[in-house]
Amino acid sequence: MPMLVLGQENDDARVLDLLLLVEQTEAAFYAAALDAGILEGELLDFAQTVAAHEREHLAVVEAAVGDPSTAPEFDFTRHLAEPEAFARAAARLEDAAVGAYNGQAGNVSTKVFTVAARIVSVEARHAAWVRSIEDRDPAPDATDRALTEAQVRRRLDEIGGTA
Amino acid sequence: MSRINIDQFDVDGAVAEARGQLSRAELLTAGLGAIAGALALAQPAAAARLSATDRAVLNYALSLEYLQAAFYTEAERSKAITGKAGKAARTVGAVERAHVAAFLDLLGTDAVKRPRFDFKGVTEDRDAFLKTAVAFEDLAVAAYKDQAIRIESPAVVSAALGIHTVEARHAAWMRYLNGIKPANAAFDEPDSKRKVLALVEDTGFIASAPRTTAARKPGFSG
Repeated sequence: MPMLVLGQENDDARVLDLLLLVEQTEAAFYAAALDAGILEGELLDFAQTVAAHEREHLAVVEAAVGDPSTAPEFDFTRHLAEPEAFARAAARLEDAAVGAYNGQAGNVSTKVFTVAARIVSVEARHAAWVRSIEDRDPAPDATDRALTEAQVRRRLDEIGGTA
Repeated sequence: MSRINIDQFDVDGAVAEARGQLSRAELLTAGLGAIAGALALAQPAAAARLSATDRAVLNYALSLEYLQAAFYTEAERSKAITGKAGKAARTVGAVERAHVAAFLDLLGTDAVKRPRFDFKGVTEDRDAFLKTAVAFEDLAVAAYKDQAIRIESPAVVSAALGIHTVEARHAAWMRYLNGIKPANAAFDEPDSKRKVLALVEDTGFIASAPRTTAARKPGFSG
């Protein structure tokens, strides 16, 4: 990893491209989950609330990118057969988002850093929320891992990639 | 070497390695302390190399972690918080203690001393406990968010961000247990140090300044 100096030698364009994919994946995932009609009760409330958050995040990242690429094609059907599978995938996806933002924070300008910091903690809240509903430990570790770009792309592909 | 660079504080590498060797419970308590330890190993005088700005930020973070760690530890010891809230108090308490340990490691002799707390019984009542926990966790998220941008050392930024999102997880967990929405907006806002410290002072939970710097005798908390 390179020496990271905040506000200098940043790579906003490359980072925003990655964060755009994160938000595109999340927005598409929750939209697909709501379309699937498998959720009710707490998980439905979670999905509806989070879907709206992710649309807002996506809009902010798209605006920052300027000329955003269109979202790739996703396939979430393997996670949408029953509510438990949705919850597990949602937790993994939110963790990947947290790791993506934390991993890139040192590579961006102050301006992007400030916006990203307002988003990343909401992703962490989502991750803990869905685990709370499922009665799994919402915060098992003392610190959240920073993920590399390659790790993020691999995780997103595992969740929403088309075969 | 006068600079700490991110390679020596590779959260991903360090934690990934630790995960393979430690059980989850060990990792929980070792947690951040292990990372701070790795940093100290790479930089024998890490604290001495921190800038004045970073020392100030870390001491502020440490003061918030002292507050949280003491709160959850007292709740755990009271044995009055049971069920899911009790489990959350134990788990989160262990993490907040790990955060305290990590900051103490990083700051060494520059660390502020722990004040004495008086939680006025909120650690013995489930509703009061959860309400206070939500307030503390949301406050911590807002405080870390405000401070992260000020930190000069990339290694310390990385550590602060990893903690920032864990505090957000705690906030969501405590909100859930308290029956309120764990994430009630698409964006979390920062809060200034002045505002956070004023809110903490308003609670009256800080019963006395640390003994070493106290201007008056500590009061009795009963």
